[in-house]
Amino acid sequence: MAEDRHDMETAALDWVIRLRDPGFDGWEEFEAWLAADPARAEAYHRLATADQDMAGLLAAGLLAAAPPVPAEAPANVVPLRRAGFTRRAWLGGAIAASVAGLVGFGMIERQPSLYQIETAPGMRRTVTLDDGSRIALNGGTRITLDRKDARHATLDRGEALFDVVHDEKAPFKVLVGDATLVDVGTSFNVVRDGRVTAVQVAEGAVVYNPDSEAVRLDAGRRLRAVDGDPHIELAAVAPDAVAGWREGRLIYDGQTMADVAADLSRWSGETVRADPRVAGQRFRGVLSLGRDHDVAGLAALLDVDVRRSGREWILSPRTP
Amino acid sequence: MSSTGLEAVFLSSRDRLLAFLRAHGAGDAAEDLLQELWLKVSSAPAGPIAQPLSYLYRAANNLMLDRYRSQQQASKRDQDWTEAATTVPGQSDEPSTERRLIAREQLRLAQAALDALGERPAAIFRRHRIDGVGQREIAGEFGVSISTVESDLRRAYRAMIELRSRFDEG
Repeated sequence: MAEDRHDMETAALDWVIRLRDPGFDGWEEFEAWLAADPARAEAYHRLATADQDMAGLLAAGLLAAAPPVPAEAPANVVPLRRAGFTRRAWLGGAIAASVAGLVGFGMIERQPSLYQIETAPGMRRTVTLDDGSRIALNGGTRITLDRKDARHATLDRGEALFDVVHDEKAPFKVLVGDATLVDVGTSFNVVRDGRVTAVQVAEGAVVYNPDSEAVRLDAGRRLRAVDGDPHIELAAVAPDAVAGWREGRLIYDGQTMADVAADLSRWSGETVRADPRVAGQRFRGVLSLGRDHDVAGLAALLDVDVRRSGREWILSPRTP
Repeated sequence: MSSTGLEAVFLSSRDRLLAFLRAHGAGDAAEDLLQELWLKVSSAPAGPIAQPLSYLYRAANNLMLDRYRSQQQASKRDQDWTEAATTVPGQSDEPSTERRLIAREQLRLAQAALDALGERPAAIFRRHRIDGVGQREIAGEFGVSISTVESDLRRAYRAMIELRSRFDEG
């Protein structure tokens, strides 16, 4: 039987689909199709078992409902030309590479509804979404929002506090690095710095990567994860210490000096770096930052030397 | 229909079912497989069966798929897939192994593949594959022709199946 292989695959696929119809009764027709060529049964079995295997994936809650009605774009935003790429930036690794051709890059061009909001270092602003949810952006922060889906935000970099209006039917999702956060309550802070993601929950709860790790973070918990590293750090945080940056209070309970430097950079607009010799040093305490935000004045409190090097502030070991 | 009623249909349709198993490539094993089919069907919890012949055909079809599956080498990746895909959302698992990272990537790839089809084909696929709604009814719901539903489903099923096979190849 000189049947084109592609036609046979298509026909086999059609049978897989037709047999899934609840009222299917074309058994004799199906049998006649199978009987005409032994290769057809092979093709059908292969496709049908692959389809059966999708069941686990479908059950894992993969295929969420279609996005809701488009919302109007807030003013003062940057349209995103190569939209979608940041959200898809996980493309990497052997599996991804092997399917890249299959999925295609069409989806990268296909999302004109995305737009970005960015703050300069030292600047802070709050965005209110259509559903009443508020996102407070610390300095040096960029988020990507979706005009078509108000329950969706990507933290590209920096720090943001999400005060989310909870909706059981449409949970608010934050994409950060290669992780997804889904709100179960109301208020949480997310920091994205290089490949590091840190989440702190002030009220309610958040689920980290509901489709894989599914780590639930309740109020008073924090999480720290590094892209590509399966290890996730969980610890406690005082709920009222979460997003103290909005009032100029940075509250620490054992974070590293590298984290403190990153916070100071975002908050002050100055570039602050931790010398490698102190970067891993832990800090406990409260930094109150005034309008003049004099980084040098924090030296004693941080137990480091703060010196100016060109345009940067460097936190370095104390000299006796 | 009781199980004795089902047995009557089974006996009267014996030859048809045998032919169906042979069309599936059962070959010399067809008689044994028919016996196996009856054991399975008769030991299943007896509920009311509206269309006994269709029920038997479907059971025979599943039997042949199981047979095909057991003939394939169960690869390690299959295990990865099944374990990963049955993770319960909301359950606080200890994150760690590479397995989970692979699963996470697979989930995202599948979602991306579906998104890439466009809204209507993705929605139609969900209605058919997840909600189990027939094509005719879907056509009515979406206000499109049956052939549109067919072509949307073809694209969606193909995308998902191709993706699934790529996972196996690793």
